[in-house]
Amino acid sequence: MHNVGLALDGAWKVLAAGLVLGAGLPLLFALGIRSLAWGAGGDAEVHDSGTAGPAANPAGTVLGWLLFVIVLALVVLGIVFIVASGFGKALSFEHIYPTLIDK
Amino acid sequence: MTESIILALVVVTALGFDFTNGFHDTANAMATSIATKALRPKTAAALSGILNLIGAFLSVEVALTVTNAVVKIQDKSGAPKAELLGNGGFDLLLIVLAGLVGGIVWNLLTWLLGLPSSSSHALFGGLIGASIAGLGWSGVNWNGDGSKLDGVVGKVLLPAVMSPVIACVVAAVGTWLVYRVVTGVAARFTDNGFRWGQIGSASLVSLAHGTNDAQKTMGVITLALIASGDWTDTSAVPFWVKAACALAIAAGTYLGGWRIIRTLGKGLVEIAPPQGMAAEASSAAVILASSHLGFALSTTHVATGSILGSGVGKPGAQVRWKVAGRMIAAWLITLPAAAIVGAVMWWLGHLIGGLAGALVVFVVLLALAGFMFLRSRRTPVDHNNVNDEWDADQAATRERVPEGV
Repeated sequence: MHNVGLALDGAWKVLAAGLVLGAGLPLLFALGIRSLAWGAGGDAEVHDSGTAGPAANPAGTVLGWLLFVIVLALVVLGIVFIVASGFGKALSFEHIYPTLIDK
Repeated sequence: MTESIILALVVVTALGFDFTNGFHDTANAMATSIATKALRPKTAAALSGILNLIGAFLSVEVALTVTNAVVKIQDKSGAPKAELLGNGGFDLLLIVLAGLVGGIVWNLLTWLLGLPSSSSHALFGGLIGASIAGLGWSGVNWNGDGSKLDGVVGKVLLPAVMSPVIACVVAAVGTWLVYRVVTGVAARFTDNGFRWGQIGSASLVSLAHGTNDAQKTMGVITLALIASGDWTDTSAVPFWVKAACALAIAAGTYLGGWRIIRTLGKGLVEIAPPQGMAAEASSAAVILASSHLGFALSTTHVATGSILGSGVGKPGAQVRWKVAGRMIAAWLITLPAAAIVGAVMWWLGHLIGGLAGALVVFVVLLALAGFMFLRSRRTPVDHNNVNDEWDADQAATRERVPEGV
């Protein structure tokens, strides 16, 4: 039954990585959209009926786009990861920022 | 001469399998984007096809030992077992041919029924069946040697049970978080934004699919070439094999398995753009993480689990568990069903023997494929009606006056 142990060992790692990337990135993306709405103000967000809604806030727009850029950068990293593993390279996070190394 | 014709049959059948693999799996990446109308159906299939083509060329890793996970027809270096190489490799070629036919037939049948089933399981099932028929029970690598995740149990059965659950959890958490964050935001912000997020994440799934799945066929064709003595290098795949496999999977993806796209996109859950993005992001993350960790899994199981999870995670969303149950039933019988077809094909080819046997197997494949294609024309599903309401006929039934009134 060694396979069951090995599979469970692999499964929790996949689950952990999946949660960080697969649920974390959509969360960042959603925060970006929320920020854009906050930046636009007015009808973009919930507000008391009869009022004009919150005023526009440029900081929200900036934050929103910043979050999108972060998500995009992480996705590009994902593509580099696929391509690199195809060419016998691997991504290393040894120096915090990603670098390509030989497998 | 005889060997060349059999080899040609194997190559053509392998490319045929690759093609069915393509259209079977368009849904995995694109069903959600099509259902939420983030992309027009044809555009989605074209985008996915192109990314599969690129993905297939990116996979330069040698996948020669692909069959070693489940059967014992190759040694560790990828060279075919010497005892199967009598009569110009005929024994090995027949096992491979029968296995491929098993995979194709099962893929076509599940497509006809609109069920997303795993193409890798169909291929492995066919090969297992043909190997049992040709070599006996010991011809199958059931459990590996204990050093790593291997064999039918470790590479096929356990990941098949675990991967949909993992994907479902990830997508449910993602969807729940997304809805928590955007509650109260105007729809013009959420719909447009999430559609873009969805297209991006679905593209990543397509690319990963091309790199993962096309190389299985590349490995099988190269194995056949080595067996017949037309290729000797076990550390590389001939370029024409790579190009042909890339084109076959891309063409299949572009054609689009609309019946399956419909089931995944409309049948399981009514998908809104935020759910679609969460589902595809979960699929992409789980596929990439597991291929990095050497955890073999099926794109189909992951994609289905993710879409299910996006229904579980959205407050108030309805999941059609009956449809999910049908799919899970299809997953359970994929391996044995493809194995039975593979075994029957091997016996057929073996009894008749030689070139005639291989030809008969091929003709039977063509006949079955033609039959299922004709059956599919009775209730065609294509890019025009792929997004129709799922419950249209059920709604009509409900309008009748209930009994006893």
